[in-house]
Amino acid sequence: MVILRGRKIKKVFGKKTNTQEVLKDIDLEVREGEFVGIMGPSGSGKTTLLNVLASIDKVTSGTIEINNFNLQKMKEQRLSQFRREQLGFIFQDYNLLDTLTVKENIYLPLSVGKTPKTVSEKKIKEITDLLGINDILNKYPNEISGGQKQRTSAARALVGSPSIVFADEPTGALDSKSATALLSNLEKINKEKKVTIMMVTHDSVAASFCSRVLFLKDGQIYSELYKGEKDRKQFYHEIMNTQSVLSGDGYDA
Amino acid sequence: MAMTLNQLVLRSMRKNIKNYYLYVFALVFSVTLYYSFVTLQYNPAIVKEIGSGMSSAALKAGSYLLLFIVIFFVLYANKLFMNRRSKEIGLYQLVGMSKGLVTRLIAIENIILWLGSIILGVLMGFVTSRVFAMILLKILEKDAFVELTFSLEALLMTVIVFLLLLIVVILQTAIRIRRVSLLTLITTTGVADEKVKKFNAFHMFLGFIGLAFIGYGYYLSTSLLDLSNPDLTPNMLLFKMVSILILTVGGTYFVFRFSVAFILNLVRKSKKGLMSVQDVLSLSTIMHRMKSSAMSLTTITILSATTLGILTLSYISYYSVDTVAEEAIPYDYVMYEDTGFDLIEEFDKEEIQYTRDDIDLLAVEADVRSLLVKDAALNNDISTRLTIQVVSQKDIQSKLPNLQLKEGQGYIVGYDSLRAENIRIEAQKPIQFITSTGTEEVFITEVSEEYMVPNYHSYGFFTVVLEDSYFQKLLNDPLNENQMVVGMELQEVSQLKKAEKIFEANKVSVEIPYPSGIATKTVSVESQESYRLDLLNELGLTIFITGFLGLAFLITTGSILYFKQMSEADEEKATYTILRKIGFTTNEIMKGIHRKQLFNFGFPLAIGLAHSYFAVKSGWVFFGTELVAPLLITMGVYIILYSIFAILSAGYYRKVVEDAL
Repeated sequence: MVILRGRKIKKVFGKKTNTQEVLKDIDLEVREGEFVGIMGPSGSGKTTLLNVLASIDKVTSGTIEINNFNLQKMKEQRLSQFRREQLGFIFQDYNLLDTLTVKENIYLPLSVGKTPKTVSEKKIKEITDLLGINDILNKYPNEISGGQKQRTSAARALVGSPSIVFADEPTGALDSKSATALLSNLEKINKEKKVTIMMVTHDSVAASFCSRVLFLKDGQIYSELYKGEKDRKQFYHEIMNTQSVLSGDGYDA
Repeated sequence: MAMTLNQLVLRSMRKNIKNYYLYVFALVFSVTLYYSFVTLQYNPAIVKEIGSGMSSAALKAGSYLLLFIVIFFVLYANKLFMNRRSKEIGLYQLVGMSKGLVTRLIAIENIILWLGSIILGVLMGFVTSRVFAMILLKILEKDAFVELTFSLEALLMTVIVFLLLLIVVILQTAIRIRRVSLLTLITTTGVADEKVKKFNAFHMFLGFIGLAFIGYGYYLSTSLLDLSNPDLTPNMLLFKMVSILILTVGGTYFVFRFSVAFILNLVRKSKKGLMSVQDVLSLSTIMHRMKSSAMSLTTITILSATTLGILTLSYISYYSVDTVAEEAIPYDYVMYEDTGFDLIEEFDKEEIQYTRDDIDLLAVEADVRSLLVKDAALNNDISTRLTIQVVSQKDIQSKLPNLQLKEGQGYIVGYDSLRAENIRIEAQKPIQFITSTGTEEVFITEVSEEYMVPNYHSYGFFTVVLEDSYFQKLLNDPLNENQMVVGMELQEVSQLKKAEKIFEANKVSVEIPYPSGIATKTVSVESQESYRLDLLNELGLTIFITGFLGLAFLITTGSILYFKQMSEADEEKATYTILRKIGFTTNEIMKGIHRKQLFNFGFPLAIGLAHSYFAVKSGWVFFGTELVAPLLITMGVYIILYSIFAILSAGYYRKVVEDAL
């Protein structure tokens, strides 16, 4: 089942004389349970693509459907509700609220809906157990490590059982060990709970955890790779190769 | 270089409009207020009506107080302005500008801003000064025409004051730029107030202490003027007043610094980690900001309380003018003995309608010991033999139509419990009159504080209303002396103006002897309206000046809160961005912010109101006769004006939240 469908997505920044086309008529589909990576050099439009798909930014033209909801047809109020109920977010800089404890941060997306308290407690317990952060629930973000922050952020993204999770460079600020731990967690959750994940990254190791990787260049999809039955190492090499072709010199990060 | 520097200044000014408009508002507002107030002193209409001397001295004193407010406001605004721009200043230094150059840059910018603001403020002050002059004359009940006046003296004063202030501001900025290192400059705005900390038992204890302090201070204030307390010496009073001040001010700080965070933390904990987004935006933000905002919230609370207290007290005196005049002169016109018969003749000639009470005032020796309240009666040091004024019930029938006295009964009017000091009396007790045939007792049915009988004795003690036959008996006693008093009440209020004119033309006075016969006293025909206008003249200026300063204080504190909220909103923009991304709507976020605003504005206001209520209650009797109405009106107006700032800042928050995504 296709969960996300984008048609002729175009995004133009700037006004009148000084415009820049960041996304040029992109078509893409994401099926339920996929773990899709988006790679590409700086300025290729990765984050912009993720933002418009996640309804945080608006497209200039084209249509995006998630779970058969057309994002362009929804008003701001409706869109907020949609984000809360159907989408999850993980950001590079965690985006946790400093004034809230880990548990309070995770509870946020559930706080407006009519989820009963006992159900909320159960959901929080389940997701924090899975991510291994149930022993820091009463700590404030400034008291925990970067890896723990990002897992908190992931827990917050997943606690509402979203249709699709968007992750923007989730490992960007982490050391390699924490990064691998987080990605394994995401991979596990993707496989076990059939959660669809879409992740922007410039890190080939991170991308190798995905089931499919899209390469973006100058606002267009340049190519895509499927993991299929390959193991992670093989897939990683394949990604590296594509990347060097893409950037021409093999040095792009 | 100079050329490029100027260009840089202009360019940065254009880009920083948002930061500037606050600062410019503070400046223009201060100049306007100051210029228009100083101009008042030179306004010919005002000078003519209130004259020089005391009144103009009062205006001058007011202008100094206003200057104090203005300095406080401008310096605070400058500090806030600099905080907001620390990043920009850091950036200039980062790209290699020397500190001297940056200082020059900021100085040039300030000079441009200040000159502009002074010009604008003076122009506005020129107009508002006329409005203020009209308000003042209206309060004084004078119908003089006020023209737009330009005063060179006022202009010079304003320009000198603000140029001096500008120099101070520039120096302040220069010192700041010199002292601060590049690193701290760049990170100032980034530092979130208090980084989250656990709350310990000691803080809990301090939080409790804060509440206890305020409570005890209030308790002390209620018993501040307990006149029945024999230990009440002036020193004791001063000591008590200082204690109350320290307790409430200190308590207020403790409440803001510790109690609030402590209580909110308890509430937070009770939610066990499941906080709604509204709680997130109100509870936890307030809790974690308390350390840095405690001082300013305390200042605002105390300023509000002081302003409100002074405003209420001066309004009470203004409001009580009518009653005070009625007490002093219970009839529209009062004449003693045969002072005013020309006036009565003139009234008849001019067809002024009036009713007339002819009252026999009798001075009788009496002993009031048996009337005293319990504790005082035992004190033998007090001399209780006095000359008391008595009147017959029939003479003041028009004032006390319902009074029914039986034989041997009396009714006391005009008893002033406040001024009675150690001769404190109560009803349902007898009074003893000393007559030529011996001592006779009259039972006092009631003691009223209302003044109903003109009192020609300057000592102004109470008057006893007696049943007619007994009064007649005292009147015939050769020991007692009587005086005739005529009280006249106009029937038509519309004739008051005309009557006053006749009164002015027929002022006469005579010497009358005191009952003791040793000295004489000059009495004249008295007019309640003239007396009221005299009072109004004295108090009108006071209420105007306090009102003006109160308004300045209110706008200053309101603006400071508003400025603070603006920067708080900007600092919290990241939070709103996160919440918007997760999928909260602007309205949901605003709900939480409204709760926070209610606290930020409502809490200092509520405590300020409580403080001023207790302050006013403890001492209002010295200022007038009516508490409730002036208190409610003053507080009501204050709350309404104050809310405007809360609404403004909520508007700013909405803009920030909307732009957050």
